[in-house]
This record gives sequence, C-alpha cells and structure tokens, in this order.
Amino acid sequence: MAAINQPYGQRRSLPVPVRLPGFNGWVLAAIVIAGLAAMLPVLQNSTATSRGFDVQRLQNEQTRINGDIRLLEADVAQLTSLPRIQRRAAEIGLGPAETPIYVTIDEPGPAPAKIPAEYLPGPAPKTDEPESWLHSLLKWVRLGQ
Amino acid sequence: MAQRGHGTRRVWLPAAFLGAFALVILGRLVQLQVIQHGAYARQTREEQTADATFYARRGSILDRNGNVLAASVDTWNVYVSGRTWRAPERSGPASQQLASLIRMDAVALRAMVAGKNGDVLVARDVDYATGNAIAAAEIPGVVLLPDSKRVTPEGDVGASVLGLTGLDNTGLAGIELSHNGELLGKPGQAVYERDTTGDPIPFGRSVVEEPQPGQDLVLTIDRYLQQMAEQKLDAAVKEHRAQGGSVIMMDPHTGEILALASSPGLKYSSLDLSDKKQVELLKNRAVTDLYEPGSVMKVVTAAAAIDQGLVTPDTSYVDTGEIRLYDVTIKNWDDRVYGVQTMTGVLQNSINTGAVFMVEKLGQPLFHKYLDAFGFGRTTGIDLSGEAEGIIRKPGDEHLDPPWSPVDLATQSFGQSISVTPIQMLSAIAACINGGLLMKPHLVAATIDGRGVRHDIAPTVEGRVISEQTSATIRMMLEKVVNPGWPDPMQPRNYTAGGKSGTANVPVASGYDDRQIASFVEFAPTDNPRLIVLVKLDQNQDLLTGRVAAAPVAAAILDDALNYLNVLPSDVNKQVRR
Repeated sequence: MAAINQPYGQRRSLPVPVRLPGFNGWVLAAIVIAGLAAMLPVLQNSTATSRGFDVQRLQNEQTRINGDIRLLEADVAQLTSLPRIQRRAAEIGLGPAETPIYVTIDEPGPAPAKIPAEYLPGPAPKTDEPESWLHSLLKWVRLGQ
Repeated sequence: MAQRGHGTRRVWLPAAFLGAFALVILGRLVQLQVIQHGAYARQTREEQTADATFYARRGSILDRNGNVLAASVDTWNVYVSGRTWRAPERSGPASQQLASLIRMDAVALRAMVAGKNGDVLVARDVDYATGNAIAAAEIPGVVLLPDSKRVTPEGDVGASVLGLTGLDNTGLAGIELSHNGELLGKPGQAVYERDTTGDPIPFGRSVVEEPQPGQDLVLTIDRYLQQMAEQKLDAAVKEHRAQGGSVIMMDPHTGEILALASSPGLKYSSLDLSDKKQVELLKNRAVTDLYEPGSVMKVVTAAAAIDQGLVTPDTSYVDTGEIRLYDVTIKNWDDRVYGVQTMTGVLQNSINTGAVFMVEKLGQPLFHKYLDAFGFGRTTGIDLSGEAEGIIRKPGDEHLDPPWSPVDLATQSFGQSISVTPIQMLSAIAACINGGLLMKPHLVAATIDGRGVRHDIAPTVEGRVISEQTSATIRMMLEKVVNPGWPDPMQPRNYTAGGKSGTANVPVASGYDDRQIASFVEFAPTDNPRLIVLVKLDQNQDLLTGRVAAAPVAAAILDDALNYLNVLPSDVNKQVRR
C-alpha cells in the first residue's frame, strides 16, 4: 500500500485551468446554446398565446366600445330630436310665435348652427399655380414706380 | 427433410399472413393518403378552420342640417340551446335568470325551448347593454349573436320618405330601398385556424377582410319642414274629410325636396306588416299615384303658348261659357260666361274655354312637344322607387280605349285626359317659374363615405323648357291669380306669392264620377321664388275646390316655412330696421 507523500491536513491545490477530459468550455457553451434554443420555441409559443389572448380581448373591447359609441350617438340623436325639443319647449312655456316681428340689423348675422365637421364639405383645394413671369415683371415695374 | 419442410411452413405461413396483413394496411394507406387525399385534407381544413362574417354598419340617414333621421345600433339576438335546457334542474334557474334580464316570463321562456334540440331564438334585437349583461351572467345554454336594428330618433316624422328595412337590414321601402346599395356597405369576412374550443389560434393562418361601413346619406329634407308638412296635411285631410293627400315642398331652382308628406302614409309607431292594408303604405303616393291635375295644367298651356309667341298675358278673346268640339260641349267649371277675357284673366278665373283657345293656337304636335319637355309621361327620376310615368293620351296610341280624339287635346289643356304624379306636376310648375329650367327633383343632397368625406350631389338640369322671359311672365300672371285685388285665403300673410288651383273629378270607365281631387300649387316670394309647394287633397267629402280647400294650406305652409328659412317678409312694413 503506497503511502501518500503529503503532509496531513494540507490540501492539494487544483491545477488551473481545470481541464476535464473531453469537456471543455466550447462544449459547455454549445450545451447552453442548445438549451436556450430548445427553450426559445416554448417561450415564443407562450408569448404568442398570451399576446393572442390579449389581441382577442382588445378586439372584444373594441367591438364593445364601437357598440357603445353607436348607442351614445343614437342617444344624442334622441335627445336632440324635434319631438323632445318641442316637448321641453312646451314644458318651459315656449311656443310658436303668432305674429313674428322681423328685425333687420346692419350687423353680420349669428353664426350658423354647428354641424359636425364630418358632414361639412372639405376645404377647397389650394391653387399653388406659379405666377407667370409677365405678372411678376408687371408687379416689379409697379413697385419700382 | 420432413422436419425441414415442416419448419419452412412454420416460417412462411405466418410470414405470408403478416405479409398479406401488411398489404391490406398498405392498401388502406394508399386509399386514405393517395386516393382519398383531397377529401380528407378538405375535411381536416374544415375542422381546423372557421369563418366569420362581420356585418358592415348600415349608413345613417341625416336631414339637410345633419340631424339623424335613421341610424343603426348594435343589438343581440338571444338563442337558447334546447339540449342544455332539457334537464329541469338546469333550465329552471337559467330561465329565471334570463327572464329577469330580457323581461319575459320564465315559464313562457321554457315553453319556447321545450322539446327542441337545437338553438332556439327567444329574443330578437335585445338592446346592447342588456346583451352585455346577459353575456356577463354566463347563463348555461344561452348564446348571443350580434345583430343591429334601425332607430328613428324623430319618430314617425319622414317615415314615408325614409321607408324601412327588413330583418336582414336590407331596405324594403323609401330611401332605405332606393339607396340600399350605398347604405348597406360591404360585410367583412374572416377565415382563421381554430383550436379545439373553436377560438382562433393566435397568429395562426388567417385571412381577414375588414367590413366596409355603408355610406351616410344627407337628405335634402328638413326635419322641421317635414314635420310641418305632415301636420298641416293631416289637419287638412281631417278638416275636409278627405281620403288622403300629399304635400311637397321644393326649392324651384335646384329641385331639392325639402318636405314630402303623404297621407295615409307609413308610421313606424303603428306599423303592422301582417295587415295587407298597411303594406300599401310602403309606397309613397306623391310619386306612385296618378291623378288628373285639373286647372293647374292651364299654367303649362299658357307657358307653352306664350313661349311660342302665340299669346301674351293681355291677349283677349270672348268667352261664351262653352265650346262645341265635334259632338262634345266643353263648359267652364262654374258654368259662368266671362265675356271678354285676357290670358291673365283665364288663369285668374280658371276658364276652361280660355285654355282651349290657347291650345288651339298651339296645335296638337306643339302642345304635346311641350308636355314632353315639361317631363309628363315619364318618371322624373326622383330617388324613390315605384315612381309612375303618367299617361298622356296622344294620337296614334293603339292601346287607348276609347281612342284618341281632338277633344282630348282640348281637355288636356285644362288638365283632363292626362294623368300625372304630384311630383311631376310640381316639377313642371317649378320649371315655369324658376327661369324656365326643368330640374330633376331629388332627395339626397350628399353622401358621406366610410372615411367621413362628404360628396355633394349637384342639382341636375333636365333641360330648358321655356325662355327666361316667358318664365317671368308666368310668375307675374300667377301672382295676379293669388292677388285678385282683395284679401284672399290663397295669399300668404307675409310674402308675395303666385299659384294656381286645380279641381278635377276622378275618371272612371264611363267618364267621371262625383269624387274629386282638389289641389293647389303656390310659390313665394314672386320676385325670387325660394319655395314652391303642392297641396293635394284626395276625394274631400266637403267637395270644396282646390282654391278653397287646398290653397289656404299652401299659403300657411309658405308663411311658416319661409319664416323658418329666414326669408324676410316681402312687405317692408312688417320689417323693423335698426
């Protein structure tokens, strides 16, 4: 039996770097990469599923909000309807004028009733036609005088 | 050797059996994967994919000022699975819960579903908020499917113009029908991969076509004027005990219809389509029904004769009270003899012999050429379905019974032997007073597409019928009809006006009977007409003439409508200047 030629209690220092037979850093990195690559589809699937549910939830929310908007639009139309205005007018003692008096004043009239912008004609297209050289010349000549 | 042979059999018999079995399997595989590949692939696709239709929002209908006349709101149709509700311990509480939400009797609800396996529709067009509450309650066996319904915030106002839609949201009458294509939009479609529960697989293969919402329509109708027209018509029908009638208000320069009332007409509040009489109400009588216009036609006769230079307002003739044509005697409507009369007097007193005097000067070909130019005998093209063309008796028409005779030409000059629609008559008189242009009457002023862009529809000029000078002359003559020199109910209180009455008996197979149609066409102000109105009363039992029964209604409408449209009174004394 061979005796260990080493003092008792003294630890043998490990060689640096540790070189395991056939198991170097590259192999470790490859294993980690392979592991991550294997996990990636799982993570991707999980995220996709989660996002998919979010999309569905948001689509439902959008549908609900659109429905609410249409309901509110109908409510506004109901509240501004002629029968309701006339009923309310009667309640507060207003009625059609029997003998209207027409007053003509030399001031601009009141602004017309507001119509939602979407129901108004679009702005007139801009005419960016370049000024002809003749007009430019005439203008320059007049300025010169 | 015998042992070897026995051993060989022991090998090849199972081998042959297994081989045959393998061949059967192989054959089956070939059958499934090669021969029937297409069918199974299709079945798989059908199971893995689902499709859904997204209904496009039906466009709204607005009045000329942007007020909503008809719009669509989302609703839910509630279905109950008969299979799920078969067990009483499940259907009891579920029906109680559902009944409280949709305000139905739980017993009646269970009775609707009892004995049925499939999904049963128990409530249609449940309002959106209630549907959301039902969905949140997660009642067993209850399924909600989205739908939409039409709401009309103005109630019955304009119902006969707007029409209505069916359960499939397609137009059935009125503007809803005639402009169904624009209003309907295009439904969207989605095809997607689904999981075992039927839900779409996130980021799976899918084809989505977004729904294209329908266009909004901006009508030329003004809701206030429409309400006024309907109220005044109903009152007149009641007062004169008429069977019905029409009121049309139009801008004579553009052909825009500001109000179109018809009685009896469609009313949403009392609509019952199971009643056949009510189905009749889906048509708008102002464009579908024909009548003989009577003396209103004298305006057209006079316009043609003046335009041709054959007469002037002051051209005179002697009225003897009747004219003998072949074996027919044509008399004045009141059997009076007026003596020497001008053409203006002919219109003022509505003298039949005077109209015959003018048409004899014109002759048949020229008079009928003018009738064609004024748009009689063909549809005006107004955007309402079912418009009638009208009937003009003309020589050479073999379908006439009795055949055409020269007497027809004489009677046509004062509005008999010719059938027109109210909208045709109004368009023709508008052409007489607007400077001579026949405008196409229309109800849609603009469309608004899904992006909110407004597309205005320009007025359409059908053609020049008479000269501007003739038109000015006719305006002046018609003003004298309304203002004979003394106060008359025909006159609006605040505006100068011109007009002409018509009273015609209803034609029957043997001639005419005692029933009559009284009408009046009036415009104001005379110097620059802003509005022209036709009032027509069908078979008024009090037998009052158009001048007495219909004219005061037209005058009152003009007063109120022009006041509403901020047109200053013609009488400057009624204006206060500051």
